[in-house]
Amino acid sequence: MIEISHLSKMYGRGVYALRDLSIRVDKGEFVFLTGPSGAGKTTLLRILLCEETPTEGRVHIGGRDLARLSPGQVQAYRRTIGFVFQDFKLIQTKTVLQNVALLARAMGEVSIQQQRRTYQVLKWVGLQHRSNAFPMELSGGEQQRVAIARALVTEPSLVLADEPTGNLDPDLSLEIMNLFRDINASGTTVVVATHDRELIRRVDRRTMTLDHGRLAETS
Amino acid sequence: MHALAYCIREAVGSLWRQRGSAALSVLTIAVAMLVLGAFLLVTSNLDRLMSRWSSAAEFSVYLHDDIGQDQRIALNLMLADSPLVASREYVSKADALARFTRDFPDLAAGADALDENPLPASIEVRLRSGVASADSIEALAARVSAAPGVADVRFDRTWLERLGAIVRGTRWIGWALGAVLILAAVLTVSTIVRLSLHVRRDEVGIMQLMGAPMGLLRGPLVAEGVLHGGAGAILALALLYVGYVAARARFDPVLADIVDPALVAFLPWEFAVALVVGGMVVGCAGGMVAARFVRWAR
Repeated sequence: MIEISHLSKMYGRGVYALRDLSIRVDKGEFVFLTGPSGAGKTTLLRILLCEETPTEGRVHIGGRDLARLSPGQVQAYRRTIGFVFQDFKLIQTKTVLQNVALLARAMGEVSIQQQRRTYQVLKWVGLQHRSNAFPMELSGGEQQRVAIARALVTEPSLVLADEPTGNLDPDLSLEIMNLFRDINASGTTVVVATHDRELIRRVDRRTMTLDHGRLAETS
Repeated sequence: MHALAYCIREAVGSLWRQRGSAALSVLTIAVAMLVLGAFLLVTSNLDRLMSRWSSAAEFSVYLHDDIGQDQRIALNLMLADSPLVASREYVSKADALARFTRDFPDLAAGADALDENPLPASIEVRLRSGVASADSIEALAARVSAAPGVADVRFDRTWLERLGAIVRGTRWIGWALGAVLILAAVLTVSTIVRLSLHVRRDEVGIMQLMGAPMGLLRGPLVAEGVLHGGAGAILALALLYVGYVAARARFDPVLADIVDPALVAFLPWEFAVALVVGGMVVGCAGGMVAARFVRWAR
Protein backbone atom coordinates (compact mmCIF):
# COMPACT_ATOMS: atom_id res chain seq x y z
CA MET A 1 0.00 0.00 0.00
CA ILE A 2 2.75 2.45 1.03
CA GLU A 3 6.30 2.10 -0.23
CA ILE A 4 8.83 4.66 0.86
CA SER A 5 12.41 4.30 -0.31
CA HIS A 6 15.42 6.37 0.73
CA LEU A 7 13.21 9.32 1.62
CA SER A 8 14.92 12.47 2.87
CA LYS A 9 13.50 15.86 3.63
CA MET A 10 15.84 18.72 4.34
CA TYR A 11 14.79 22.16 5.58
CA GLY A 12 17.14 25.06 5.26
CA ARG A 13 20.86 24.31 5.20
CA GLY A 14 21.53 20.79 6.30
CA VAL A 15 18.62 20.42 8.74
CA TYR A 16 17.10 17.02 8.01
CA ALA A 17 13.55 16.25 9.16
CA LEU A 18 13.77 12.81 7.49
CA ARG A 19 16.91 11.02 6.40
CA ASP A 20 17.19 8.01 4.13
CA LEU A 21 13.94 6.54 5.38
CA SER A 22 12.64 3.35 3.81
CA ILE A 23 9.30 1.95 4.98
CA ARG A 24 6.73 -0.45 3.65
CA VAL A 25 3.14 -0.68 4.88
CA ASP A 26 1.02 -3.49 3.46
CA LYS A 27 -2.59 -3.24 2.48
CA GLY A 28 -4.93 -3.67 5.45
CA GLU A 29 -2.18 -3.05 8.02
CA PHE A 30 -2.48 -0.90 11.14
CA VAL A 31 0.79 0.85 11.84
CA PHE A 32 1.86 3.26 14.54
CA LEU A 33 4.49 5.88 13.80
CA THR A 34 6.05 7.03 16.99
CA GLY A 35 9.04 8.89 18.28
CA PRO A 36 9.87 12.00 20.24
CA SER A 37 8.87 15.47 19.12
CA GLY A 38 10.89 16.45 16.06
CA ALA A 39 11.47 12.82 15.06
CA GLY A 40 9.84 13.45 11.67
CA LYS A 41 6.40 11.83 12.16
CA THR A 42 4.42 14.86 11.04
CA THR A 43 6.80 15.60 8.15
CA LEU A 44 6.35 12.04 6.91
CA LEU A 45 2.55 12.33 7.06
CA ARG A 46 2.68 15.73 5.36
CA ILE A 47 4.67 14.12 2.54
CA LEU A 48 2.10 11.32 2.33
CA LEU A 49 -0.61 14.01 2.07
CA CYS A 50 1.44 15.85 -0.58
CA GLU A 51 1.71 18.93 1.62
CA GLU A 52 5.47 18.62 1.39
CA THR A 53 7.74 17.35 -1.35
CA PRO A 54 10.68 15.11 -0.49
CA THR A 55 14.21 16.34 -1.02
CA GLU A 56 15.25 12.85 -2.07
CA GLY A 57 13.68 9.43 -2.40
CA ARG A 58 10.42 8.02 -3.67
CA VAL A 59 6.97 7.55 -2.18
CA HIS A 60 4.50 5.19 -3.82
CA ILE A 61 0.97 4.87 -2.50
CA GLY A 62 -1.34 2.33 -4.08
CA GLY A 63 1.06 2.16 -7.02
CA ARG A 64 1.11 5.93 -7.52
CA ASP A 65 4.41 7.80 -7.46
CA LEU A 66 3.51 10.93 -5.50
CA ALA A 67 6.36 12.90 -7.07
CA ARG A 68 4.81 12.49 -10.50
CA LEU A 69 1.35 13.79 -9.62
CA SER A 70 0.25 17.07 -11.19
CA PRO A 71 -1.45 19.61 -8.89
CA GLY A 72 -4.85 18.46 -10.11
CA GLN A 73 -3.91 14.82 -9.56
CA VAL A 74 -2.73 15.66 -6.05
CA GLN A 75 -6.23 16.90 -5.24
CA ALA A 76 -7.76 13.78 -6.78
CA TYR A 77 -5.32 11.61 -4.79
CA ARG A 78 -6.21 13.39 -1.54
CA ARG A 79 -9.86 12.55 -2.15
CA THR A 80 -8.95 8.87 -2.13
CA ILE A 81 -7.37 8.93 1.32
CA GLY A 82 -8.75 9.87 4.72
CA PHE A 83 -6.73 12.19 6.93
CA VAL A 84 -7.30 12.98 10.60
CA PHE A 85 -5.50 15.94 12.17
CA GLN A 86 -4.55 16.61 15.76
CA ASP A 87 -6.41 19.95 15.68
CA PHE A 88 -9.45 18.35 13.95
CA LYS A 89 -9.54 20.97 11.17
CA LEU A 90 -13.30 21.31 11.16
CA ILE A 91 -15.00 24.24 9.45
CA GLN A 92 -16.48 26.23 12.30
CA THR A 93 -19.27 27.80 10.24
CA LYS A 94 -20.61 24.42 9.11
CA THR A 95 -22.62 21.89 11.04
CA VAL A 96 -21.39 18.38 11.79
CA LEU A 97 -23.38 17.01 8.85
CA GLN A 98 -22.08 19.72 6.51
CA ASN A 99 -18.50 19.15 7.62
CA VAL A 100 -18.76 15.44 6.94
CA ALA A 101 -20.58 15.69 3.61
CA LEU A 102 -19.27 19.05 2.37
CA LEU A 103 -16.85 17.95 -0.31
CA ALA A 104 -19.08 15.17 -1.60
CA ARG A 105 -22.03 17.55 -1.87
CA ALA A 106 -20.01 20.33 -3.44
CA MET A 107 -18.80 17.86 -6.04
CA GLY A 108 -22.33 16.80 -6.83
CA GLU A 109 -22.31 13.43 -5.11
CA VAL A 110 -25.79 13.63 -3.65
CA SER A 111 -26.92 10.12 -4.34
CA ILE A 112 -29.02 8.20 -1.83
CA GLN A 113 -26.00 5.96 -1.19
CA GLN A 114 -23.85 8.98 -0.42
CA GLN A 115 -26.41 10.36 2.04
CA ARG A 116 -26.82 6.95 3.61
CA ARG A 117 -23.06 6.64 3.92
CA THR A 118 -22.89 10.07 5.65
CA TYR A 119 -25.48 9.05 8.22
CA GLN A 120 -23.84 5.64 8.61
CA VAL A 121 -20.43 7.10 9.51
CA LEU A 122 -22.02 9.64 11.85
CA LYS A 123 -23.90 6.81 13.53
CA TRP A 124 -20.74 4.73 13.60
CA VAL A 125 -18.81 7.46 15.45
CA GLY A 126 -21.85 7.96 17.69
CA LEU A 127 -22.75 11.47 16.57
CA GLN A 128 -25.94 10.97 14.60
CA HIS A 129 -27.83 12.97 17.23
CA ARG A 130 -25.42 15.92 16.92
CA SER A 131 -25.55 16.24 13.14
CA ASN A 132 -26.94 19.78 13.28
CA ALA A 133 -24.52 21.01 15.94
CA PHE A 134 -21.62 23.32 15.13
CA PRO A 135 -18.07 22.21 16.03
CA MET A 136 -17.75 24.79 18.81
CA GLU A 137 -20.74 23.18 20.52
CA LEU A 138 -18.91 19.83 20.70
CA SER A 139 -16.31 18.47 23.11
CA GLY A 140 -12.79 17.70 21.89
CA GLY A 141 -13.55 14.00 21.63
CA GLU A 142 -16.72 14.67 19.67
CA GLN A 143 -14.88 17.00 17.31
CA GLN A 144 -12.27 14.36 16.65
CA ARG A 145 -15.01 11.83 15.95
CA VAL A 146 -16.50 14.25 13.41
CA ALA A 147 -13.05 14.51 11.79
CA ILE A 148 -12.85 10.70 11.67
CA ALA A 149 -16.33 10.52 10.15
CA ARG A 150 -15.25 13.03 7.51
CA ALA A 151 -12.15 10.97 6.75
CA LEU A 152 -14.23 7.82 6.35
CA VAL A 153 -17.18 9.14 4.39
CA THR A 154 -15.40 8.60 1.07
CA GLU A 155 -14.61 4.98 2.01
CA PRO A 156 -10.85 5.44 1.60
CA SER A 157 -8.49 2.50 1.38
CA LEU A 158 -5.93 4.41 3.46
CA VAL A 159 -6.46 6.52 6.58
CA LEU A 160 -3.64 8.68 7.93
CA ALA A 161 -3.88 10.27 11.36
CA ASP A 162 -1.45 12.76 12.85
CA GLU A 163 -1.57 12.75 16.66
CA PRO A 164 -5.36 12.22 16.61
CA THR A 165 -5.46 11.93 20.39
CA GLY A 166 -2.99 14.71 21.12
CA ASN A 167 -5.68 17.02 22.50
CA LEU A 168 -7.73 14.37 24.30
CA ASP A 169 -7.69 12.80 27.76
CA PRO A 170 -6.62 9.10 28.13
CA ASP A 171 -10.17 7.65 28.14
CA LEU A 172 -11.21 9.58 25.06
CA SER A 173 -7.89 8.69 23.41
CA LEU A 174 -8.58 5.00 23.82
CA GLU A 175 -12.11 5.50 22.54
CA ILE A 176 -10.77 7.21 19.41
CA MET A 177 -8.10 4.55 18.97
CA ASN A 178 -10.77 1.87 19.15
CA LEU A 179 -12.49 3.62 16.28
CA PHE A 180 -9.28 3.37 14.25
CA ARG A 181 -9.05 -0.30 15.17
CA ASP A 182 -12.60 -0.82 13.88
CA ILE A 183 -11.74 1.06 10.69
CA ASN A 184 -8.78 -1.24 10.20
CA ALA A 185 -10.92 -4.30 10.90
CA SER A 186 -13.02 -3.42 7.86
CA GLY A 187 -9.90 -3.71 5.64
CA THR A 188 -8.70 -0.12 5.57
CA THR A 189 -4.98 0.53 5.95
CA VAL A 190 -4.40 2.80 8.94
CA VAL A 191 -1.28 4.79 9.82
CA VAL A 192 -1.42 6.67 13.10
CA ALA A 193 1.34 8.99 14.28
CA THR A 194 1.44 9.34 18.06
CA HIS A 195 3.97 9.79 20.81
CA ASP A 196 1.62 8.20 23.38
CA ARG A 197 3.50 5.00 24.35
CA GLU A 198 0.77 3.85 26.70
CA LEU A 199 -1.81 4.01 23.93
CA ILE A 200 0.45 2.05 21.59
CA ARG A 201 0.94 -0.59 24.26
CA ARG A 202 -2.80 -0.97 24.78
CA VAL A 203 -3.66 -1.18 21.09
CA ASP A 204 -0.72 -3.49 20.36
CA ARG A 205 0.02 -3.09 16.63
CA ARG A 206 3.15 -2.81 14.50
CA THR A 207 5.08 0.25 15.57
CA MET A 208 7.77 2.15 13.70
CA THR A 209 9.85 4.43 15.81
CA LEU A 210 11.50 7.43 14.21
CA ASP A 211 14.37 9.31 15.72
CA HIS A 212 16.02 12.33 14.16
CA GLY A 213 14.34 11.50 10.87
CA ARG A 214 15.62 7.92 10.70
CA LEU A 215 13.82 4.65 11.34
CA ALA A 216 15.18 3.68 14.75
CA GLU A 217 13.10 0.61 15.50
CA THR A 218 10.26 -1.56 14.21
CA SER A 219 8.32 -3.74 16.60
CA MET B 1 -24.29 22.29 -11.47
CA HIS B 2 -23.82 21.31 -7.82
CA ALA B 3 -20.41 22.95 -7.84
CA LEU B 4 -21.99 26.15 -9.19
CA ALA B 5 -24.71 26.02 -6.53
CA TYR B 6 -22.03 25.46 -3.91
CA CYS B 7 -19.98 28.44 -5.16
CA ILE B 8 -23.02 30.74 -5.17
CA ARG B 9 -24.12 29.54 -1.71
CA GLU B 10 -20.66 30.12 -0.29
CA ALA B 11 -20.42 33.52 -2.01
CA VAL B 12 -23.80 34.65 -0.61
CA GLY B 13 -22.81 33.47 2.86
CA SER B 14 -19.48 35.28 2.65
CA LEU B 15 -21.17 38.42 1.30
CA TRP B 16 -23.48 38.42 4.28
CA ARG B 17 -20.72 37.78 6.81
CA GLN B 18 -18.54 40.52 5.30
CA ARG B 19 -21.39 42.88 4.50
CA GLY B 20 -19.53 45.98 5.72
CA SER B 21 -16.57 45.59 3.39
CA ALA B 22 -18.81 44.14 0.68
CA ALA B 23 -20.85 47.37 0.77
CA LEU B 24 -17.67 49.32 -0.02
CA SER B 25 -16.94 47.11 -2.98
CA VAL B 26 -20.54 47.32 -4.23
CA LEU B 27 -20.47 51.13 -3.88
CA THR B 28 -17.21 51.39 -5.86
CA ILE B 29 -18.70 49.40 -8.71
CA ALA B 30 -21.92 51.42 -8.43
CA VAL B 31 -19.96 54.69 -8.84
CA ALA B 32 -18.09 53.35 -11.88
CA MET B 33 -21.28 52.05 -13.46
CA LEU B 34 -23.19 55.23 -12.56
CA VAL B 35 -20.64 57.38 -14.38
CA LEU B 36 -20.66 55.05 -17.39
CA GLY B 37 -24.46 54.84 -17.30
CA ALA B 38 -24.81 58.63 -17.09
CA PHE B 39 -22.59 59.10 -20.13
CA LEU B 40 -24.51 56.38 -21.96
CA LEU B 41 -27.80 58.04 -21.03
CA VAL B 42 -26.70 61.46 -22.29
CA THR B 43 -25.06 60.20 -25.47
CA SER B 44 -27.88 57.80 -26.34
CA ASN B 45 -30.38 60.68 -26.05
CA LEU B 46 -28.18 63.00 -28.09
CA ASP B 47 -27.80 60.25 -30.70
CA ARG B 48 -31.56 59.89 -30.85
CA LEU B 49 -32.10 63.64 -31.16
CA MET B 50 -29.43 63.95 -33.83
CA SER B 51 -30.90 61.13 -35.78
CA ARG B 52 -34.33 62.75 -35.59
CA TRP B 53 -32.99 66.19 -36.49
CA SER B 54 -30.99 64.79 -39.36
CA SER B 55 -33.88 62.83 -40.77
CA ALA B 56 -36.44 65.58 -40.28
CA ALA B 57 -34.24 68.25 -41.81
CA GLU B 58 -35.05 70.24 -44.85
CA PHE B 59 -32.74 71.31 -47.54
CA SER B 60 -33.08 74.13 -49.98
CA VAL B 61 -32.17 73.82 -53.66
CA TYR B 62 -31.33 77.24 -55.09
CA LEU B 63 -31.82 77.56 -58.81
CA HIS B 64 -30.00 79.58 -61.42
CA ASP B 65 -32.13 82.43 -62.75
CA ASP B 66 -31.72 81.00 -66.25
CA ILE B 67 -32.75 77.43 -65.41
CA GLY B 68 -34.63 75.93 -68.28
CA GLN B 69 -38.05 74.33 -68.17
CA ASP B 70 -36.60 70.88 -69.01
CA GLN B 71 -33.99 71.20 -66.31
CA ARG B 72 -36.62 72.14 -63.74
CA ILE B 73 -38.81 69.19 -64.76
CA ALA B 74 -35.80 66.84 -64.52
CA LEU B 75 -34.96 68.21 -61.12
CA ASN B 76 -38.53 67.78 -59.91
CA LEU B 77 -38.56 64.20 -61.19
CA MET B 78 -35.30 63.45 -59.40
CA LEU B 79 -36.79 64.70 -56.12
CA ALA B 80 -40.15 63.01 -56.67
CA ASP B 81 -38.42 59.67 -57.30
CA SER B 82 -36.41 59.80 -54.10
CA PRO B 83 -37.92 57.81 -51.21
CA LEU B 84 -36.30 60.28 -48.81
CA VAL B 85 -38.39 63.22 -49.96
CA ALA B 86 -41.70 63.73 -48.20
CA SER B 87 -42.71 66.91 -49.99
CA ARG B 88 -41.28 69.81 -51.94
CA GLU B 89 -42.35 73.34 -52.52
CA TYR B 90 -41.27 75.65 -55.32
CA VAL B 91 -40.46 79.16 -54.10
CA SER B 92 -40.26 81.61 -56.97
CA LYS B 93 -38.03 84.69 -56.93
CA ALA B 94 -41.09 86.82 -56.16
CA ASP B 95 -42.18 84.52 -53.31
CA ALA B 96 -38.66 84.63 -51.89
CA LEU B 97 -38.70 88.42 -51.90
CA ALA B 98 -42.15 88.49 -50.30
CA ARG B 99 -40.91 86.20 -47.53
CA PHE B 100 -37.85 88.35 -47.07
CA THR B 101 -39.84 91.57 -46.68
CA ARG B 102 -42.24 89.77 -44.32
CA ASP B 103 -39.50 88.26 -42.13
CA PHE B 104 -37.21 91.27 -42.19
CA PRO B 105 -39.45 94.33 -42.45
CA ASP B 106 -36.62 96.68 -41.45
CA LEU B 107 -34.66 95.63 -44.52
CA ALA B 108 -37.65 95.67 -46.87
CA ALA B 109 -37.03 99.28 -47.98
CA GLY B 110 -33.48 98.41 -49.01
CA ALA B 111 -34.67 95.44 -51.07
CA ASP B 112 -37.29 97.58 -52.77
CA ALA B 113 -34.60 100.06 -53.76
CA LEU B 114 -32.80 97.46 -55.87
CA ASP B 115 -33.53 97.38 -59.57
CA GLU B 116 -33.63 93.66 -59.70
CA ASN B 117 -34.82 90.99 -57.27
CA PRO B 118 -31.51 89.47 -56.02
CA LEU B 119 -33.09 86.44 -54.38
CA PRO B 120 -32.97 83.18 -56.34
CA ALA B 121 -35.90 80.86 -56.90
CA SER B 122 -35.62 77.67 -54.88
CA ILE B 123 -37.20 74.31 -54.12
CA GLU B 124 -37.64 73.57 -50.42
CA VAL B 125 -37.41 69.88 -49.85
CA ARG B 126 -38.84 68.32 -46.70
CA LEU B 127 -37.46 64.90 -45.87
CA ARG B 128 -39.37 61.94 -44.55
CA SER B 129 -38.73 61.63 -40.84
CA GLY B 130 -37.28 58.39 -39.60
CA VAL B 131 -36.47 56.73 -42.92
CA ALA B 132 -33.39 58.67 -43.89
CA SER B 133 -29.91 58.24 -42.56
CA ALA B 134 -27.55 61.18 -42.56
CA ASP B 135 -25.42 59.50 -45.24
CA SER B 136 -28.31 58.93 -47.63
CA ILE B 137 -29.46 62.53 -47.22
CA GLU B 138 -25.96 63.71 -47.96
CA ALA B 139 -25.86 61.52 -51.07
CA LEU B 140 -29.17 62.97 -52.31
CA ALA B 141 -27.94 66.51 -51.66
CA ALA B 142 -24.79 65.79 -53.66
CA ARG B 143 -26.79 64.41 -56.60
CA VAL B 144 -29.16 67.40 -56.62
CA SER B 145 -26.27 69.78 -56.31
CA ALA B 146 -24.71 68.32 -59.46
CA ALA B 147 -27.93 68.65 -61.49
CA PRO B 148 -27.99 71.27 -64.29
CA GLY B 149 -29.65 74.55 -63.32
CA VAL B 150 -28.90 74.16 -59.64
CA ALA B 151 -26.86 77.02 -58.16
CA ASP B 152 -26.47 75.65 -54.65
CA VAL B 153 -27.89 73.20 -52.16
CA ARG B 154 -28.04 74.35 -48.58
CA PHE B 155 -28.27 71.45 -46.24
CA ASP B 156 -27.43 72.79 -42.86
CA ARG B 157 -25.30 69.89 -41.65
CA THR B 158 -22.52 71.87 -40.12
CA TRP B 159 -24.10 72.22 -36.70
CA LEU B 160 -25.29 68.62 -36.79
CA GLU B 161 -21.77 67.52 -37.58
CA ARG B 162 -20.45 69.66 -34.73
CA LEU B 163 -23.04 68.19 -32.41
CA GLY B 164 -22.04 64.73 -33.63
CA ALA B 165 -18.39 65.48 -32.84
CA ILE B 166 -19.41 66.68 -29.37
CA VAL B 167 -21.42 63.50 -28.80
CA ARG B 168 -18.48 61.36 -29.94
CA GLY B 169 -16.11 63.32 -27.74
CA THR B 170 -18.46 63.01 -24.79
CA ARG B 171 -18.70 59.29 -25.41
CA TRP B 172 -14.92 58.91 -25.46
CA ILE B 173 -14.59 60.92 -22.27
CA GLY B 174 -17.23 58.64 -20.76
CA TRP B 175 -15.37 55.50 -21.86
CA ALA B 176 -12.03 56.83 -20.64
CA LEU B 177 -13.41 57.92 -17.27
CA GLY B 178 -15.39 54.69 -17.04
CA ALA B 179 -12.27 52.64 -17.82
CA VAL B 180 -10.33 54.32 -15.02
CA LEU B 181 -13.21 53.85 -12.58
CA ILE B 182 -13.67 50.25 -13.71
CA LEU B 183 -10.00 49.57 -13.09
CA ALA B 184 -10.39 51.07 -9.63
CA ALA B 185 -13.51 48.94 -9.10
CA VAL B 186 -11.68 45.75 -10.17
CA LEU B 187 -8.89 46.52 -7.71
CA THR B 188 -11.36 47.28 -4.93
CA VAL B 189 -13.36 44.12 -5.56
CA SER B 190 -10.21 42.02 -5.66
CA THR B 191 -9.03 43.56 -2.37
CA ILE B 192 -12.38 43.01 -0.67
CA VAL B 193 -12.65 39.45 -1.99
CA ARG B 194 -9.10 38.81 -0.81
CA LEU B 195 -10.20 40.03 2.61
CA SER B 196 -12.99 37.52 2.44
CA LEU B 197 -10.46 34.86 1.39
CA HIS B 198 -8.39 35.83 4.41
CA VAL B 199 -11.42 35.38 6.67
CA ARG B 200 -12.13 31.98 5.08
CA ARG B 201 -8.49 30.90 4.81
CA ASP B 202 -8.94 28.06 7.33
CA GLU B 203 -11.95 26.73 5.47
CA VAL B 204 -10.16 26.97 2.11
CA GLY B 205 -7.09 25.28 3.61
CA ILE B 206 -9.20 22.45 5.00
CA MET B 207 -11.02 21.98 1.71
CA GLN B 208 -7.68 21.88 -0.06
CA LEU B 209 -6.35 19.21 2.29
CA MET B 210 -9.51 17.21 1.71
CA GLY B 211 -8.79 17.26 -1.99
CA ALA B 212 -11.27 19.85 -3.22
CA PRO B 213 -10.64 20.67 -6.89
CA MET B 214 -9.29 24.15 -7.57
CA GLY B 215 -12.61 25.17 -9.11
CA LEU B 216 -14.36 24.63 -5.78
CA LEU B 217 -11.72 26.65 -3.95
CA ARG B 218 -11.60 29.57 -6.36
CA GLY B 219 -15.19 29.44 -7.57
CA PRO B 220 -16.79 31.00 -4.47
CA LEU B 221 -14.38 33.95 -4.72
CA VAL B 222 -15.21 34.55 -8.37
CA ALA B 223 -18.92 34.17 -7.60
CA GLU B 224 -18.52 36.68 -4.78
CA GLY B 225 -16.95 39.16 -7.20
CA VAL B 226 -19.80 38.60 -9.67
CA LEU B 227 -22.36 39.24 -6.91
CA HIS B 228 -20.54 42.44 -5.89
CA GLY B 229 -20.52 43.57 -9.53
CA GLY B 230 -24.14 42.71 -10.20
CA ALA B 231 -25.34 44.40 -7.00
CA GLY B 232 -23.22 47.48 -7.76
CA ALA B 233 -24.54 47.75 -11.31
CA ILE B 234 -28.17 47.32 -10.21
CA LEU B 235 -27.62 50.01 -7.56
CA ALA B 236 -26.09 52.27 -10.22
CA LEU B 237 -29.03 51.65 -12.54
CA ALA B 238 -31.51 52.47 -9.76
CA LEU B 239 -29.64 55.69 -8.87
CA LEU B 240 -29.44 56.63 -12.54
CA TYR B 241 -33.19 56.15 -12.94
CA VAL B 242 -33.95 58.21 -9.85
CA GLY B 243 -31.60 60.93 -11.16
CA TYR B 244 -33.24 60.77 -14.58
CA VAL B 245 -36.76 61.10 -13.17
CA ALA B 246 -35.66 63.99 -10.93
CA ALA B 247 -33.95 65.75 -13.83
CA ARG B 248 -37.02 65.32 -16.03
CA ALA B 249 -39.26 66.77 -13.32
CA ARG B 250 -36.91 69.72 -12.90
CA PHE B 251 -35.94 70.46 -16.50
CA ASP B 252 -38.86 69.29 -18.65
CA PRO B 253 -40.33 72.82 -19.06
CA VAL B 254 -36.94 74.14 -20.21
CA LEU B 255 -36.38 71.09 -22.38
CA ALA B 256 -39.73 71.56 -24.11
CA ASP B 257 -38.45 74.82 -25.65
CA ILE B 258 -35.54 73.04 -27.29
CA VAL B 259 -36.67 69.52 -28.13
CA ASP B 260 -39.70 67.32 -28.06
CA PRO B 261 -39.62 65.93 -24.48
CA ALA B 262 -41.03 62.65 -25.79
CA LEU B 263 -37.72 62.11 -27.57
CA VAL B 264 -35.80 62.13 -24.30
CA ALA B 265 -35.88 58.70 -22.69
CA PHE B 266 -34.12 56.55 -20.11
CA LEU B 267 -31.50 54.05 -21.18
CA PRO B 268 -32.80 51.46 -23.66
CA TRP B 269 -33.23 48.06 -21.97
CA GLU B 270 -30.34 46.60 -23.96
CA PHE B 271 -28.03 49.20 -22.44
CA ALA B 272 -29.44 48.60 -18.96
CA VAL B 273 -28.85 44.85 -19.30
CA ALA B 274 -25.38 45.52 -20.73
CA LEU B 275 -24.63 47.75 -17.72
CA VAL B 276 -25.62 45.00 -15.26
CA VAL B 277 -23.72 42.34 -17.20
CA GLY B 278 -20.77 44.74 -17.42
CA GLY B 279 -20.85 45.20 -13.66
CA MET B 280 -20.86 41.43 -13.20
CA VAL B 281 -17.92 41.10 -15.58
CA VAL B 282 -16.03 43.77 -13.63
CA GLY B 283 -16.82 41.95 -10.38
CA CYS B 284 -15.84 38.64 -11.95
CA ALA B 285 -12.48 40.13 -12.98
CA GLY B 286 -11.92 41.34 -9.41
CA GLY B 287 -12.90 37.93 -8.05
CA MET B 288 -10.55 36.20 -10.47
CA VAL B 289 -7.66 38.43 -9.41
CA ALA B 290 -8.38 37.52 -5.77
CA ALA B 291 -8.87 33.84 -6.61
CA ARG B 292 -5.32 33.65 -7.96
CA PHE B 293 -4.18 33.91 -4.35
CA VAL B 294 -5.55 30.41 -3.77
CA ARG B 295 -2.56 28.44 -4.86
CA TRP B 296 -2.08 24.83 -5.79
CA ALA B 297 -0.96 22.52 -3.01
CA ARG B 298 2.52 22.38 -4.52
